[in-house]
Amino acid sequence: MDESRPIFAQLAEQIESDIISGTLAEETQVPSINEFAAFYRINPATALKGVTMLVDEGALYKKRGIGMFVAEGAQGRLKTKRRDKFAAEFVTPLLTEAAKLGITSEQLADMIRKEGSK
Amino acid sequence: MSRITSVVRLHLTNPWTAIILPWMIMGFILLANIAIWAIILGAAAPEDRADIREGLGYSGSTTYFFVYIMVLAVQAISVTFPFALGYGVTRRDYYLGTALTFVGLSAMFSVGLTILSVIEEATGGWGLGGRMFTTFYYGDTWPQRLFIYFAAFLIFFFVGMSAASIWVRWRANGLIAYFVGLAVVLVGGAALLTVTNTWPAFGSFFATAGFLGSWAWSLVITAIAAVGGYLVLRRATPKTS
Amino acid sequence: MTAVIEVRGLTKRFGSVTAVDDATFSVAENKIYGLLGRNGAGKTTLMQLLTGQDFATSGEIKVFGQSPVENAGVLQRVSFIKESQRYPEDFRAKHVFKSAPWFFSNWDQEFAEQLIADFRLPLDRRIKKMSRGQVSAIGVIVGLASRAPLTFFDEPYLGLDAVARQTFYDRLLADYAEHPRTVVLSTHLIDEVSNLLEHVLVIDEGRIIIDEDAETLRGSATTLVGTKTAVDGFVGSREVLHRDAIGGLASVTVTGLTAQERTDATAAGLELAPVSLQQLIIRRTNTSEKEFEVSA
Repeated sequence: MDESRPIFAQLAEQIESDIISGTLAEETQVPSINEFAAFYRINPATALKGVTMLVDEGALYKKRGIGMFVAEGAQGRLKTKRRDKFAAEFVTPLLTEAAKLGITSEQLADMIRKEGSK
Repeated sequence: MSRITSVVRLHLTNPWTAIILPWMIMGFILLANIAIWAIILGAAAPEDRADIREGLGYSGSTTYFFVYIMVLAVQAISVTFPFALGYGVTRRDYYLGTALTFVGLSAMFSVGLTILSVIEEATGGWGLGGRMFTTFYYGDTWPQRLFIYFAAFLIFFFVGMSAASIWVRWRANGLIAYFVGLAVVLVGGAALLTVTNTWPAFGSFFATAGFLGSWAWSLVITAIAAVGGYLVLRRATPKTS
Repeated sequence: MTAVIEVRGLTKRFGSVTAVDDATFSVAENKIYGLLGRNGAGKTTLMQLLTGQDFATSGEIKVFGQSPVENAGVLQRVSFIKESQRYPEDFRAKHVFKSAPWFFSNWDQEFAEQLIADFRLPLDRRIKKMSRGQVSAIGVIVGLASRAPLTFFDEPYLGLDAVARQTFYDRLLADYAEHPRTVVLSTHLIDEVSNLLEHVLVIDEGRIIIDEDAETLRGSATTLVGTKTAVDGFVGSREVLHRDAIGGLASVTVTGLTAQERTDATAAGLELAPVSLQQLIIRRTNTSEKEFEVSA
C-alpha cells in the first residue's frame, strides 16, 4: 500500500486489476471486508469505502446474507475504463520522457514494434 | 457496592502479601523468640531463672506487624492507587474499598493476635515465661487486648494511608510540609502545656484513661487521618514520575 | 453519528506550562482515531483529562455524554493503558489477568489467553523482573481483551519489538472488525499505524492542529521537484508546507493540487513526489512552530 494516496482508492484499483486479469472471475465471490482489511492491514472502514466504490460503479454487487460478487460484464467494462485512462496514464509520460531524451515519435513507434515482437 | 468489592479483591489479588506472608513472618519471629528464651533460660543457673522470667516479659517484636501494615497501606496508595485509576476506578470507590480492606485485615490480625495471646497465657508464656502477645501495654484481659490491637492496627493503617495520600498529591514537598506542620503542632502543643503549666493535668489525663482509654482516644486521630486522607486523595493525580 | 467524546475549550496548565491549549474536538463512535504528535506535545495529558485521571484547568469534557471525573458509570466503559503503566509491587503477570475482569464487564478471557500466547508472556514471572517489552505486552493485552467501548492506547507498544508491534496491530484490527468500538491510539510512530486509522487528530504544543479524516489527509499534499524558477513559478502564492533546496534544484511541498494542476505541473517539467501521512504531519507541526521563520 502506497502511503501517500487514499488507501480506499488503492484497494479499489487492486480489486479492479484482479477482475481485469481474470483472477477474480465474474459471478464469483470476492473476500469479505474484514478479510481485505486483515490482509492489507488496513482499517475495515477504509476497506468498506473501497468496495462500496466498486459497488457504486457496478463492478461488484452484494448477495444478501452471502457476500460480495463480481458483476456480470464487469471485466469488459473495467477494461474499457482503463483503456480510456491508458493514454493519459502511460502514453503522455512516455512522450514526455522521450522528448527529454530527444527521441522522436517515429523512433518511439519503432521501439514499440521491436519490443512488441519479442 | 460491587465496585468497592472489586477494589477489596484487587488488594487481595496476591494473597501472600496481605495475608499469608505476615503470618508466616510472625510465626517465625515467635519461634525465634521461643528459641532465644529457651537458650537464655537453659544457660542460666536454676536460682536465677525466676528473675530472668520476669525480664523476658517485654518482647517488642509484635511491633513488626504494625509496621508491616503501615507499609502495605503506603503501597496501597502510592502504587496501587494509580494502577486502579487505570482500571477505571473512581477515587471515592478506591478509598472506600481500600479502607474496608484494611479494616477487615486489622480485624483479622487483631483476632489472630488475641488468640495467640490467650494461648500464651494458657501455656504460661509458651512454657518459658516469655511474653510476646501479652506484654503489659496490650492490656490485661483478652477483650482489652483485642480492642487495643484493633485500635493500633487502625491507626497505623490510616496514618500510613494519609501520609501516602499527601505524597501522591504533593510529592516530596507535600510530605515535608506535613512533617514540618506536625512538628510545629507537637512542639507548639508542648510549649503551650509548659507555659500554662498543664503538664500534670495532661499526664494525669492519660493515667486515668489507662492504656485502654488512651487507645480509645487514638481512634480520634485515626478518624482525622481517615477523613483527611480522603480529602487529599480526592484531587490526587497519578503522575508519571 | 454519536459522539463518544466531546471536548470544548479544554485547557490544562501546569504552573507556567500550558500542556493542553484550548482544545475543541469530538470523537465519533466506533472509529479508530490516531492521536498523533511529537513527544511532549500533550497527548498523554489530553488522555488523562479525558479519563478523569487529571483535572482540567478550564473547558468542558463529555465522555458518553457526561463528565468523566469521578464518574463510575462512564469510567467503567473506558480502558486506558498508559505507556508508563506501573503495577503493584507484588504482582505477577497472572495477577493482572486475574484482576482485570473484575473491572471490565466486557472482558473476554479466551481472547486474553490467545493474546498471552501470541505475545509469549510468562504468566508467573514477577512484573518487576520483566523486560520493558513484556510489561508493554501486558498493557496491550488488557487494553484489547477488555473490549471497553472506549479504549485508549497511550503508546503502550513502546518496548515491543517490530514483530510484537505488528502482532498488536493485527490483533487490534481483527478484533475491532468483529467487535466494533471506539479506539484512540496515541503515537509518534505515525507511519506504522497510519493504515489503521480512520480519523487523525494531531496535537502540537497543546493545540489541536489537524482534525481530519485519514483518507482525506492521505494524498492531500504533494512535493514538487524541479529547477528553482520552475518550482517557484508554479507554486506562486500557495501555502507551502516545506521548502528545500540544493544547488539549482528546489523541492517544495504544497497541499491541495487538483488533477488538472497535477497535469500542469508535469507539463511544466516538474516531478511530483508523494507525501506520506508521517511526512505531512511532520511538515505541518514544523510549520506551526516556525511560522515566522523565513524559509528558502
